Amino acid sequence: MSFFLFLLVLTNLTLLGSSRLAFCIHTVALQGVVLGLIPLVGLQPLTIQHGILSLSAVVLKGGVFPWLLLRSLRVARIKREVEPFIGFNVSLSIGFFALIGSVVFASNLPLGDTKDSLIIALAIFTMVTGLLLLVSRRKALSMVLGYLVLENGIYGLGTVVADHIPMVVEFGVLLDVWVAVFGMGIAMYQINREFDHTDVDRLTELKG
Amino acid sequence: MSSLLILLFCIPPVGISLTFFVHRGRILFLLSLGVVLLDVVCLLIGAGGLPGCLPMQTAGGWFYLDALSAWHLLVMLLVFTTGSVFALGYFRDDLVTGRLAVTAARRYNQLWLGSLWTMTLTLLANNIGLMWVGMEATTLVTAFLISVYPKPVAIEAMWKYLIICSVGIAFAFIGILLVAASLPTTGEGSQQLFWTQLSTAGGYNLLLLKAAFLFSLLGFGTKAGLAPMHTWLPDAHSQAPGPVSAMFSGFMLNAALYCIMRHGAIVNHALGSDQFTSRLYILFGLISIVVSAAFILYQRDIKRLLAYSSVEHLGIITLGLGLGPAGCFASLLHTLNHSMGKSLSFFAAGRLGQLYGSHEIRRIRGAIHSAPLWGIALAVGLLALVGVAPFSIFISEYVLVRAAIDRQAGVVLVIFLLGISVIFVAVLRHLMPMIWGEGKTLPEKSCSTSAVIVVISLLGLLLFFGLYLPLPIQGFLSRAAALIGGLS
Repeated sequence: MSFFLFLLVLTNLTLLGSSRLAFCIHTVALQGVVLGLIPLVGLQPLTIQHGILSLSAVVLKGGVFPWLLLRSLRVARIKREVEPFIGFNVSLSIGFFALIGSVVFASNLPLGDTKDSLIIALAIFTMVTGLLLLVSRRKALSMVLGYLVLENGIYGLGTVVADHIPMVVEFGVLLDVWVAVFGMGIAMYQINREFDHTDVDRLTELKG
Repeated sequence: MSSLLILLFCIPPVGISLTFFVHRGRILFLLSLGVVLLDVVCLLIGAGGLPGCLPMQTAGGWFYLDALSAWHLLVMLLVFTTGSVFALGYFRDDLVTGRLAVTAARRYNQLWLGSLWTMTLTLLANNIGLMWVGMEATTLVTAFLISVYPKPVAIEAMWKYLIICSVGIAFAFIGILLVAASLPTTGEGSQQLFWTQLSTAGGYNLLLLKAAFLFSLLGFGTKAGLAPMHTWLPDAHSQAPGPVSAMFSGFMLNAALYCIMRHGAIVNHALGSDQFTSRLYILFGLISIVVSAAFILYQRDIKRLLAYSSVEHLGIITLGLGLGPAGCFASLLHTLNHSMGKSLSFFAAGRLGQLYGSHEIRRIRGAIHSAPLWGIALAVGLLALVGVAPFSIFISEYVLVRAAIDRQAGVVLVIFLLGISVIFVAVLRHLMPMIWGEGKTLPEKSCSTSAVIVVISLLGLLLFFGLYLPLPIQGFLSRAAALIGGLS
């Protein structure tokens, strides 16, 4: 269990400090797999339904998403994130502070017992990482990765309070995320075709 | 009777699968219209007994319909019906010239029916998680309606919409998780997150529940276009084709606001008072009105102007939610009125934009001479939207002012009236030259029958509800307003 939580922290920090997009895609995939496996290794007694759900999450986040994203990376012919709005070192430092902040914050929340509180802390940290990626990067692909990391964090939070969420809803959420990534992939393809680049900060035609 | 809900949910996907067998552009649009009309017919057949047997649920409680969702269902079908009819004329030329290929037309209609489907799911879902699933699906389905014509600006708008709304809606899901976390761990009844159970359950952790409402308000508020989370809205609304803009403004925003109403009812019930939610509703309502007033004043693009007007009206509806039962009544009435007025205006703006080849206000001149039908439609639509009597928006705003006076919310009232006065003046200043100004004459174009039907029926409805609100509808709205309050 603690190994998985350690991996979760590591993937977040890696994402904040790395510029190679293909590597980031793999890191997000690893994070998705880790989060998908957490309910299997720890927490409540395992039901078949939880098993199926975890398995679908792992297949989707570890297999389908990276495949889709790597494809659009090839189409757009980009390799790295250049000159993000917040530099890699600064993002990494913000990341460390966010990690400490989340742990302190989660331990004061009236949620579950202490065992859960660490998962909650790391889930919040993951969400903050996702938001940081969303606001600080230039490439469209980085934003999709940011969205996925945010979604991973929410999924992590969900594993703690999940006994209230019915199975149909969980699958609905997974389906939505899948369609979202698919849609964003098509959108990136269209941006690349019309603009010849995927720098989102240069999409400034519309204002006022 | 309860099979009605299943039927409403199953009709759109059947329509979508039928589109695969149609290979003529025109027929595709007719098919869409047929599917929407079938929905309407189902609802009308059910409507005879509807008020009596509400609330009803089916499929093990997963589908649920009460006065609040039934009202929104009516508004939705009105918007989709007029939109489908208008689309027949709007896309006709492009289908003939081949600017809109058959594959693009098929995709458009699939997405159009897909939006209908996902919004129906949002309204019928009893489980608040499923409601979220429906709402998020709406974003994904509608995004590609913006870029039916793949111009660079349309793609830019689509991208912003997709990212901002996906992230916003993700926040709303945190809200739903927090609702689940705030439930007592032992209550058997509320295990499934059904709204019907949540709105009567007890023993919540109130702090978490309040936090949950904040997340919902911010998350769904992003989708509802409440300022300051509205930044995607003017781009998406202005770049989408006419019928799509009308559907966005006319109902999609309301669907997101509907989700907020449901959450608010749970919170009001748990807290035993509506003070907490009221303050937030009023705050976001007023911010939206003030922000939109500032942007409408200096607007250069007619469709962006209408988009900001949507921010304003969603602000007004949200404001009403914070003013007690009378305010909620006004909000629900305003929902219908705004949807009619905004659809009419977006139809007119879309068609005039096609005729003049631009949506810039300074390029559209003397519309009443060059395209009388659409000139009148735009004039009346905008006049109705700024609240001129005898159109129905005047009535709902009047009821809202009365509600504010009854609650002795003086400051709120002053800001509200100032905001809509500024918008009144600004819109009239833009409107005059567009309708009556001197401009180049356009080549004569005949109006299609579908256009005449849409304009006349929307005009008639705006006027009708402005002059007379039938008693059964009043009673129905009061019931729905009580559901938003959640205190009964």
